[in-house]
Amino acid sequence: MRVIGDIGPYCLTSDGLREGPCIKDQSEEESLGYGSFKFVYGPSAGGLLESVGFEITTYGESIEKINHLPYKGRQITLSGLTIGDALLRVERINGAFTASHSISFLQAIESALEIEVPHDVVISRMAQLELERIRNNLLVIQRVLESASFLVPSFLLLQQIEEVNRAIARSCGHRYFFGANYPGGVRCELKLPSLKISDIERTLENRIFIDRLQGNGVVKDSFSIGPVARASGFKYDARLDSDFLAYRNFDLRIPTQDQGDAFSRILVRLEEIKESLRLLQELKVKPCSFTMKIRDGEGIGRVESPSGDLAYLTRVRSGHVERAYLLAPSKVNMRLFLKSMPGNIFTDFPFNWESFGIWISELEVDLE
Amino acid sequence: MNWFIKGIRMGVKTEDDYHHETKWPSRLTRVKGGEITCPTDAIGEEWKQERCIFCRACEPVFSPTGETLTPRVERSDVTFKRSFYLYPLDAGSCGGCNLELRLISSPQYDMTRFGIFFTNTPKHADALLIMGNLGKRMEEVIRRAYDVIPSPKLVILLGTCAISGGVTGIPPDIRGDVIVPGCPPTPASILDALIKAKGGDRK
Ligand code: SF4
Ligand code: SF4
Repeated sequence: MRVIGDIGPYCLTSDGLREGPCIKDQSEEESLGYGSFKFVYGPSAGGLLESVGFEITTYGESIEKINHLPYKGRQITLSGLTIGDALLRVERINGAFTASHSISFLQAIESALEIEVPHDVVISRMAQLELERIRNNLLVIQRVLESASFLVPSFLLLQQIEEVNRAIARSCGHRYFFGANYPGGVRCELKLPSLKISDIERTLENRIFIDRLQGNGVVKDSFSIGPVARASGFKYDARLDSDFLAYRNFDLRIPTQDQGDAFSRILVRLEEIKESLRLLQELKVKPCSFTMKIRDGEGIGRVESPSGDLAYLTRVRSGHVERAYLLAPSKVNMRLFLKSMPGNIFTDFPFNWESFGIWISELEVDLE
Repeated sequence: MNWFIKGIRMGVKTEDDYHHETKWPSRLTRVKGGEITCPTDAIGEEWKQERCIFCRACEPVFSPTGETLTPRVERSDVTFKRSFYLYPLDAGSCGGCNLELRLISSPQYDMTRFGIFFTNTPKHADALLIMGNLGKRMEEVIRRAYDVIPSPKLVILLGTCAISGGVTGIPPDIRGDVIVPGCPPTPASILDALIKAKGGDRK
């Protein structure tokens, strides 16, 4: 059994739900010795893509302790809404992971309503998730390159991210998958982006770049998920477990590394891009719709988002969402990032932070 | 090999006309009669692009034209004609607006050829660019950033959340000089807006 993360009052594991939280937060405040001080980094410091605050304790140079301070949190209400209205909000929890959020949410609803989803919808959803994974992994690598001031390759990556966004728009009508999925169907076709993977690989052979990432932010934790888990040797991937999606029929290759540092996370992501591209070439995608019959019930939906396991637990009553809980992968990854940082120095911060691919939008959302 | 030469060899091209068709978001037009319930009241006497979240609930009565949304520029300043520095501030976004904003620096759009740059500190900025709903503790952060930007300065509101709240919250309490609709606005809309705001006249 593997622990995945907290979802509302439960802990989601590979065996199902368990009462109570997964891991108790250790918040004992041991104070550091003479000469240590605290300072706040953020919330709108340049270079960070989103507003976020950190409280860092240091003697100078090396980071001894680090905490996350929430700033931009939003309160989003789903309870009482129709499934369609709730979905509009779910799509906007994390724009970068819209396919993951909306597909996981719809799976939870369909499982509550005991609906069998047509094969074409399943394939279309897989295609969206893989396109989203490619875009996100490119973005994470780009952000690390930019932090390292490797500007030519960083712009090359931005060019490819734009290529993927255009391919997503041609496939599903919207660059961020808004409106691509709806209760009872999916609107996408598949238009593949043309990417220059070998150029990215060559960039990552640069010794200076490698030196900045190796040994930075090491974390090996069996309670980790996604690329962070795989970069430290754990072969976890929700795609292997999925009963909703048909990944098992496609002989999926799960790349792993064993150092658990920022460089391993980048290597894992690069390999994942190649595997996603291979998978996409095998998928036949077309729009498809089906009927949603209404009944009351409770269900869980779970996908492998670009940052690891993402799940929704929903209760449905008379066609309305009675309650919805979210397991956001960024929450799990934030815990791991904070754990990986002590012992590193300030200049390690940006590379390590970017290598986790955390989204504050989904982390600080309060779902009601 | 030197990075500069490597860069050129990669053959990446900047687009002379960076407008290209995207269906959602783009200008919507009524193609047939009929009543619709819009989740954001974007449809009244006419269609209001500043409220629209491009959710497709009004299809097929309304249909996307593929034309880039036009930003509303209430105040521009030619002081910024040669260089225009932006301080982006995420008030509480889903991240979509942040990504599209970042992509105007991609080689296809290349904002620097129009004299547009990002800065990491409001003290060096000519404009405050706000995205997202008003987050829990962001009111004070926005006010302080605005106060330290030297005059003349512009406020740019990017995306439906910042302009009218959308479906996820309320907008920050600040008046925009430049309004860029979209959920999220496309890089083309953003560039059009910025070029106009700095007193240019492209498109
Ligand atoms: S796309 Fe959605 S928000 Fe926009 S006008 Fe149509 S129904 Fe309203
Ligand atoms: S306008 Fe749309 S893309 Fe931008 S922050 Fe709001 S929901 Fe996200």
